[in-house]
Amino acid sequence: MCALALKDIRKAYGDARAVDDVSIDFPQGELTALLGPSGCGKTTLLRMIAGLEVPTAGTITLGGRDITRLPAHSRKFGMVFQSFALFPHLSVRENVGYALTIAGTPRAEVMARADKLLDLVQLQGFADRRIGQLSGGQRQRVAIARALAQEPEVFLLDEPMSALDAKLREEMQVELRLLQQRLGITTIVVTHDQREAMTMADRIVVMSKGKVEQSGSPQQIYQWPATGFVAGFIGRANFMEGLAENGKIRVGDVLLTLPKPANFLNGAPVQLACRPEAIRLGTSEAANTVKGTITFVRDLGPVRDFHLDTPLGKLVAEQGADQGRNLKLGDTVPLSLPPEALRIYPRGIAESPMGMAAE
Amino acid sequence: MTATDDTAAWPRETAAAAPGTKGPRAGRSALAVQVVLWATVLVFCLVPLFLVLVISFGHKIEGAGWEWALTLENYQRFFVGANWPAESTSLYLGQLYWSMRYAVVAALLAVVTALPFTYLMTRQSRRAQAVWLVFLLATLSLSEVFIVMGWDIILSNNSGLPMLFAATGLTDWLKDTGWFDVLRDWGLANPRNVKFKPSEVATVLTLSYLVWPYAVILLYPALSRLDPSLAEAARTMGARPWTVARTVILPSVRLPLIGTTLLLFVFLLGAYVAITVFADPSQHTTAVSVYEHVRGSTLNAPFGAAQSVILLVTATAFLVLGQWLTRKSPRAA
Repeated sequence: MCALALKDIRKAYGDARAVDDVSIDFPQGELTALLGPSGCGKTTLLRMIAGLEVPTAGTITLGGRDITRLPAHSRKFGMVFQSFALFPHLSVRENVGYALTIAGTPRAEVMARADKLLDLVQLQGFADRRIGQLSGGQRQRVAIARALAQEPEVFLLDEPMSALDAKLREEMQVELRLLQQRLGITTIVVTHDQREAMTMADRIVVMSKGKVEQSGSPQQIYQWPATGFVAGFIGRANFMEGLAENGKIRVGDVLLTLPKPANFLNGAPVQLACRPEAIRLGTSEAANTVKGTITFVRDLGPVRDFHLDTPLGKLVAEQGADQGRNLKLGDTVPLSLPPEALRIYPRGIAESPMGMAAE
Repeated sequence: MTATDDTAAWPRETAAAAPGTKGPRAGRSALAVQVVLWATVLVFCLVPLFLVLVISFGHKIEGAGWEWALTLENYQRFFVGANWPAESTSLYLGQLYWSMRYAVVAALLAVVTALPFTYLMTRQSRRAQAVWLVFLLATLSLSEVFIVMGWDIILSNNSGLPMLFAATGLTDWLKDTGWFDVLRDWGLANPRNVKFKPSEVATVLTLSYLVWPYAVILLYPALSRLDPSLAEAARTMGARPWTVARTVILPSVRLPLIGTTLLLFVFLLGAYVAITVFADPSQHTTAVSVYEHVRGSTLNAPFGAAQSVILLVTATAFLVLGQWLTRKSPRAA
């Protein structure tokens, strides 16, 4: 069932379109991550869902009811802001109870509910503190508890982890996901961090330049990126430019085979993507084998990255720590790109190749 | 952070900087700077103040000037009258009352109207904000005399608003609807037409107008630092615009509000021109009385000085009260 649905939502500032005809369905009780680089329109989209901005065109429906023009205070959507936006003049308990207090709930009831929510986010004993006395992680918990106080129909989080350090961020991602699953609340998280999206989301919507590039489960998006942009943005990928030739792809002098013949006209320009962990080093009998020279080794502990110069261009191959122990800088080794690991996109329509996209 | 906190940090910073400077030469030059600073403050600020204080204990010679003395007769005259205990008067206490009343009402009016204006201004683009600030700073260069003259013309009975009221038939409409009698009760109408001079309303309006740009400029830093997501967070939790203002914005700028009101109040205690033009002589203030005694017909400098000292003490008392109020706030810590 669809809790929340966006249909052809657009937000224009003058000639620029921050959000360009976006349609997304948010299923009941699921956590959806809006993922994209900064300036892709994901926060603007979230703010329109919250009622803080009015769409230039399109409709937002909640359980079939049109709420496009409903002001923010009339929607029961809890929202966690990037800066947490906690009220510095109120105590932790008063912050959490704010929504109930202004709704005229009796004080004793507000206190009880606030304390219960603080239990939920494991902040017992902090109720009487002031916001200035809390750490970043504690502030985030208060912000989450505060947004949940009015039992929102939809829970919105705008880059909720960006103010936390890396270690705390990973802990909070797991914790937030468990909390969301426990409450079964329809949740939308805006993030630019693909690990965060992969950790928490049932579904990821990848956005770029105001448009939806792809939406699907984290595994779908990782394994079958729909566009070159998604392949580069989610995880890492080696990009190669080639031309279609009788169902195969020619990159330089090498003809690469695909699991099934590619559906491109001969001579059509295409872009190939291959995950670093899919490249096999040291095996010469497999398909799509070329020779490469190791130019750099990056030892990350659990895995090692080999940077290689090959006839296909510069490639990065990721190997487990126990694989390729004997390989060293300057070695020339055979490497193969398994046909089933190759993803192929039309060139000129897709995003320009990003090379090795950063994690 | 408040304006008072900022200023309180100054002496500490300069004091901390002094021991850090190394070498006897640097020490000597730092000392020289200190001496020059203190001398400047002494000559231009403390000496005149001290003179006024001393003169306030002087004795007025009837029909002539005054002489140095150490008498409390000027203070006695202020509080209970010159002929006390045979008879007593509260004329001068009454003037102090009007000083405070005008200053409080005009300061509050200015702050209350400047707050929403300034808030909306800080939500504009950077460029629009800069234009507004430059415009407001420019209006500060207008002298009190100039502003009062303008209001004098607008409110004058023969050429200003009252004439416009009569010409457009608004006066007749007011008479028909019964509002005219209400205005008469408030002292804003004579039997024939509305009149704004003299009136407390005109006085307060003009005083408010005088300090309004100061109010905006003093409130601007606090409001522009206010995180817009605070108001947005409140909105997502069901707060209507007025609730947002009442529960989020006002408490967040409580200290700057108190500070601004106090500064405007102290500034307005000394207002002179607007009072003489718009206020009824029975409602004149201590500042007007000081001027009349020092420069006017009576030429009683010691009494004028005594009134000045009392006005100064009143202002100081309110500033101390303001400090105490802001200290009490948990946020000041």
